[in-house]
Amino acid sequence: MKLPILTIIMTTIFTGTMLTMISSHWLLIWIGLEINMLSIIPILTKNQKPRSTEAATKYFLTQATASMLLMFTIVFNAMHSGQWTTTNIDPNNMIVSLTMIIALTMKLGMTPFHFWVPEVTQGVSLMTGMLLLTWQKLAPISIMMQMFTSINPIILLLIALMSVLVGGWGGLNQTQLRKILAYSSIAHMGWMMAILTFCPSLTMLNLLIYLMLTIIMFTMLNMNTNMTTLTLSNLWNKSPTITMMILISLLSLGGLPPLTGFLPKWIIIQELTKNNNIAMATVMAIMALLNLYFYMRLIYSTSLTLFPTPNNIKMKWQFQPKKRSLFLSPLIILSTLTLPLSPVLSTLN
Amino acid sequence: MLKIIIPTIMLFPVIWYSNSTLIWINMTSYSLMINLMTLPLLNQAGNNSNNFSLTFFSDSLSSPLLMLTVWLLPLMIMASQHHLMKESLTRKKLYLSMLISLQMFLIMTFSATELILFYILFEATLIPTLIIITRWGNQTERLNAGLYFLFYTLIGSLPLLVALIYVQISLGSLNYLVMNIWFQDMSSSWSSNLLWLACIMAFMVKMPLYGLHLWLPKAHVEAPIAGSMVLAAVLLKLGGYGMLRLTIILNPTTKIMAYPFIMLCLWGMIMTSSICLRQTDLKSLIAYSSVSHMALVIVAILMQTPWSFMGATALMIAHGLTSSMLFCLANSNYERIHSRTMLLARGLQAFLPLMATWWLLASLTNLALPPFINLIGELFVIMASFSWSNVTITMTGLNMLITALYSLYMLTMTQRGKFTYHIHNIKPSYTRENTLMSMHMLPLIMLTLNPKIIMGLTY
Repeated sequence: MKLPILTIIMTTIFTGTMLTMISSHWLLIWIGLEINMLSIIPILTKNQKPRSTEAATKYFLTQATASMLLMFTIVFNAMHSGQWTTTNIDPNNMIVSLTMIIALTMKLGMTPFHFWVPEVTQGVSLMTGMLLLTWQKLAPISIMMQMFTSINPIILLLIALMSVLVGGWGGLNQTQLRKILAYSSIAHMGWMMAILTFCPSLTMLNLLIYLMLTIIMFTMLNMNTNMTTLTLSNLWNKSPTITMMILISLLSLGGLPPLTGFLPKWIIIQELTKNNNIAMATVMAIMALLNLYFYMRLIYSTSLTLFPTPNNIKMKWQFQPKKRSLFLSPLIILSTLTLPLSPVLSTLN
Repeated sequence: MLKIIIPTIMLFPVIWYSNSTLIWINMTSYSLMINLMTLPLLNQAGNNSNNFSLTFFSDSLSSPLLMLTVWLLPLMIMASQHHLMKESLTRKKLYLSMLISLQMFLIMTFSATELILFYILFEATLIPTLIIITRWGNQTERLNAGLYFLFYTLIGSLPLLVALIYVQISLGSLNYLVMNIWFQDMSSSWSSNLLWLACIMAFMVKMPLYGLHLWLPKAHVEAPIAGSMVLAAVLLKLGGYGMLRLTIILNPTTKIMAYPFIMLCLWGMIMTSSICLRQTDLKSLIAYSSVSHMALVIVAILMQTPWSFMGATALMIAHGLTSSMLFCLANSNYERIHSRTMLLARGLQAFLPLMATWWLLASLTNLALPPFINLIGELFVIMASFSWSNVTITMTGLNMLITALYSLYMLTMTQRGKFTYHIHNIKPSYTRENTLMSMHMLPLIMLTLNPKIIMGLTY
């Protein structure tokens, strides 16, 4: 795609999300979401393959349905409460709270509306998939964080628990890396939404750490354009350092101490326990182990074993790397080694 | 405590900046120096603990285990020299980095006051061990071994995290020194039974308890020598240490909840000892013998009498040294004949008499011969369990008998009798190997003279 056009489309995506995040009038929020969705469609169809078109169509249909549901909720809320501000949704209005949750979780890709996430992420290129799983989460989460007091906690906890389960079990049978990262996104969204009604700043913390980890995973996979587990097994020859970085990042994504990925899980479990949700905390923690299993499979194929390869694998030409990897080193350090900095959280409000 | 931790962290630059001739010398000598610095910790004042700061402390329970951990590092490095000979320098450095990071986490685990810090480091020890087992193990089964090891431990320890956070919220603080003063009795409800289970299961998987021990033979057998040594000697003791630390908040529920576990341990002791009699794989025999000894430790900790705590601590240290030595001996066999089958290399006493002496001493300590500290540990545990219930003497006595049987079986199978003809060209023992064995044996023998330092909290 030509650079000026790409710039305009990226600016539009940025504008859409920013519009959603700064407004307090529901109509503007909805407009921001629509601008975002419409302008990401050409990005999804950037490489002109039928698979990309299929992915873009699925994305468009689900997001448009969600936006329409959101519009319905907004108008219904305006009809019943007479005002359009975000923070004053009446939690006792059952239709409003239910359809609001459904619309926003459909946008985020949480169970039971998660079916589009693996297929759309698989159909597009690695960097576009990264955009899909990171930037597109910002707008709906910002809406949910603004109105968290009016959300029905029971429904949200149920959706979060189901997302963690589906994210864990769904990723077990996958070898395509983009689908694995999509299921990981579903599971992490589950963790983020579980704590929303109790302490939304932890949702923000989990989102930040998840964003950093997903960005570095996609960037590292993009360096050699690895899209399957099989191609990952050749990585030891091209760049062994990236092999080790994938190991550490995947362990952090799985939530193993002493890496940073453990921090959101730990504090979310603490907040859930403080609010007497001990069973939920235990179930979610154990189900996160399913995620760890398929990350371990990836780690095995990249760094800890050598797959059978042809004899001349070490004779490959080693070219200069051409793909840009902005901020990879600081992001890796930030997302794997900052657990000792966790007391910093007590200074945030 | 930083005087031990920072030099251990500084071993990283020592590794990465050494060249290929100096790397082993540097590592061994500096880790021996860290040993020397840790020795004064064994001088513990009576009932009190040495509180270095709010984060680190050492008392008479953690200092012998800490000493065992730092003592083991130079031994691991010496033992790994042979199988890493053919690797490239970077891979040697990576292997040693894994060992050093494991060491750092273990030192911090044994000296942590805050129980959540203990938990984080307890889990952190999994990552380097996993990498050592899976990357540097020798057979294809190592992949399964790594997965079993990781997931058994994690499934047990995630409820522990939730339980610790719940205890922190209800008690107010998880700092061990504060908990000793602020502890309350657990209520006798179903939910406190579940809380007890959540606290204990992580350590039961780590010890391991008989029903949850499937990961241990896999992990011990498939790990390279340093991995086996550290697993058998120290990582199993993490479970015992954790249980001993948590007993203060688990009363009086332990009196009721401990029954099924004590039964499983007593039965499991006999079962795993009997399996040892039928093993063909040498490392697998030593692994099952570890399960059997650790079952005694679990019985001791769950019975909560002063003598049983003394026996548990002494048995942990004694078993650490003995089983690590047995793994080194098995590895010296493996390096010569590249097989773990016991039948293949018999009658080694005719070829390597000094090594046969070490085999004899290791087998004798394994079967708890007086006056070694293994006997002191086992005797205290057996006496305590006899006073808890007279019937247990049948099981523990039978276990001592079967332990003697398989230890002597292992000794006579590998050392005595007619040698096999195909081993006539094995290399004689290296000085390194003899040093390794003597460095295992000398602490064992010398501790016989003053077992007070390993008797733990209730001496």
